[in-house]
Amino acid sequence: MNAILLIVRNDMKRRLRSPVSIICMFLIPLGLTLLVGLVFGRHGKVELSHIKVLIADDDRGFAANFLKQGMKQGKLAELIDLVEVDPAEGRSLMDRGKASALIEIPKGFTANILDRKPAEIALVKNPQESFLPLIVEEITETMAVMIDGAAQIFEEPIGEARGMLTGGRWPEAAELAGLLAETKPRIALVKGYLSDTLISIGSETVSAPGAEPERTLNFFALIMPGSILIGLLFISEITMRDILREREAGTLARILAGPVQSGRVVAGKMLSSFAITLVACALLIAIGRLAFGIAWGSPLKLLAHVVGSILLCVGLMAFFYGFIRSERVADAMLPVVIIVLCIFGGAMIPFEAMSPAMQRAAVFSPSFWVIDGLKRISIERTDWGGIAPHLAIVYGLGALTSLAGAAKLRGKLGGRG
Amino acid sequence: MIEVRELVKSFGDIRALGGVDFTVREGEIFGLLGPNGAGKTTTISIIAGLLSADSGSVRVSGMDIRRDGRRVRRMLGVVPQDIALYEELSGRENLRFWGGLYGLSGKRLHDEADRVLELVGLTDRADDAVREYSGGMKRRLNLSAGLIHRPKVILLDEPTLGIDPQARLNILDIIRDGVSGGMTAIYTTHYLEEAEKLCDRIAIVDHGKILAQGTLKELVKLAGEGNIVTVSGAFSREQVNPLLKGVVVEHLENGSLRMLIPGQAELSGALGRLFSAGIPIGEVSIQEPSLEGVFIKLTGRELRD
Repeated sequence: MNAILLIVRNDMKRRLRSPVSIICMFLIPLGLTLLVGLVFGRHGKVELSHIKVLIADDDRGFAANFLKQGMKQGKLAELIDLVEVDPAEGRSLMDRGKASALIEIPKGFTANILDRKPAEIALVKNPQESFLPLIVEEITETMAVMIDGAAQIFEEPIGEARGMLTGGRWPEAAELAGLLAETKPRIALVKGYLSDTLISIGSETVSAPGAEPERTLNFFALIMPGSILIGLLFISEITMRDILREREAGTLARILAGPVQSGRVVAGKMLSSFAITLVACALLIAIGRLAFGIAWGSPLKLLAHVVGSILLCVGLMAFFYGFIRSERVADAMLPVVIIVLCIFGGAMIPFEAMSPAMQRAAVFSPSFWVIDGLKRISIERTDWGGIAPHLAIVYGLGALTSLAGAAKLRGKLGGRG
Repeated sequence: MIEVRELVKSFGDIRALGGVDFTVREGEIFGLLGPNGAGKTTTISIIAGLLSADSGSVRVSGMDIRRDGRRVRRMLGVVPQDIALYEELSGRENLRFWGGLYGLSGKRLHDEADRVLELVGLTDRADDAVREYSGGMKRRLNLSAGLIHRPKVILLDEPTLGIDPQARLNILDIIRDGVSGGMTAIYTTHYLEEAEKLCDRIAIVDHGKILAQGTLKELVKLAGEGNIVTVSGAFSREQVNPLLKGVVVEHLENGSLRMLIPGQAELSGALGRLFSAGIPIGEVSIQEPSLEGVFIKLTGRELRD
């Protein structure tokens, strides 16, 4: 059997016989996901930065005003920065990624509601952001239900008021009193016996027109990609550490005393680290689906992204171990490196909750591209174009670090043919 | 079979080998005898291709280890000083891995694993995890891993280190059986009796240099014709010195005297003069010509020092 495969098989067998360290590293991301999930709940509150929402109002009617004012009231005002724009300006800003979403209210929106005809609000989402546009979508849907509900309950009084206002005169006090008297019992009778809403939200993501939008937001889906990254980094770290352990145990010297090229030994070690990390990642994804109900999206995109991400993690660890001489140095250095990578990648603080300065720094962290890619595939159901930069970065950096790490490790082992 | 020429190797300021030079003939067991730090393991590591020498050359069956490294390593079996096995795997799994690295596979690998397991007496425990083995059993398995691919040359680096005398004798028997059949071996040790019992020729190494080499008979001759007589007691150098005329004194200081005495009559005469003069003698030991004597003669100290 080929020496590389022989080393991979041997390492897998050894890990299976002595799995404690891998299990510990495997449980960390699961425990983290569960803990954060339990603390915040499935739809828990996350401290978020303000969501910038553009609104292009061609209607100027009371229903459009109701929607705008609703987003400027109370808790929503703390969450949303609502900026009024004209439709062309709004599209232009969205194309440049300057806001999380654009709400377009067409002309005749209020009239359609009052005439009990179908009315549509267009929602344009920013593909650069993972879940903020989804929050805007949920809020807009809620507001639409409220407007529609109000229109159904107060259909008659609104019709009368509409007649008064369009008659070209201010209503008399008696007419207003009659209107209010008619309205009051209707408010008391609102118990939710409403027909289906007539307002629909036409949602689109600007640069991904064919993409199917995610309808429900699972809180675990926000946390688990970061937790998976933590798992990948720690598992690839302990599996690549094996090269140091074998050196100290003397088995590496014994392998090198055989007719095996040192490059093949390094390749075997890296491939076994890759294989073990891949198995652990597949298990984490399966548990995410079964235990936390995370819909991971397209299996093909997920596989492509996960393979690249593992290549990146193994490459990074091979590169670090090319320079590290003892386990003591590894113990002191690598957990710090991994934690920094996790923080900047958004594994501990969601990217959306980071300060703008940190967000700018995060894109330079390879781990950001791993986490963001996973979120785009699972939450946003993005197309290949949406993850193309992510794939380019994880595969590119993965190949670069793997080659550099392999060359350094080979030199460390004697670099002979 | 193996030609080692003028090997020099330094680690920083420390010179580990200062021109080691020897030849091992096909089918013989060649011993490298010396204390810890003498340069034995460094020599073995260079032959095995694990270290590169600063200068000098090693040829195995006419092939240079630098130019034909992989071909040479395929011919070699290495038994390292430290036990180099995977503790979480069974003895058989370890052997299948090490055999596989040398290109064995399928039935041949299976059969060779069974053969060496039987050779080292571990057939019954072959499927137990190595972590459950005793120290002696691990040593035997460590040895068998170097023999599984039937190497032409085996490098044995202190394979009996740290085990009890009985287990050591057992390992020596295995080596004698395993090496029979044309295999060439280099055996490093700091146990004189192992070198005497096992090796066809021996090189005495100290401070990175070979001080002498030859068969046991040839080396013993170097010690000189006669017995080494060591006397200890509460005497001073000045008391004893005038009484030693005509005696070859190898070492004399207060309380300790070592002499080379050629025959029985000379021995009686020398000891008689000491007793007659009332020298307070505590202990007298007489050592026949041996490797120990050669080592003492060449290095001025005992091997266990």
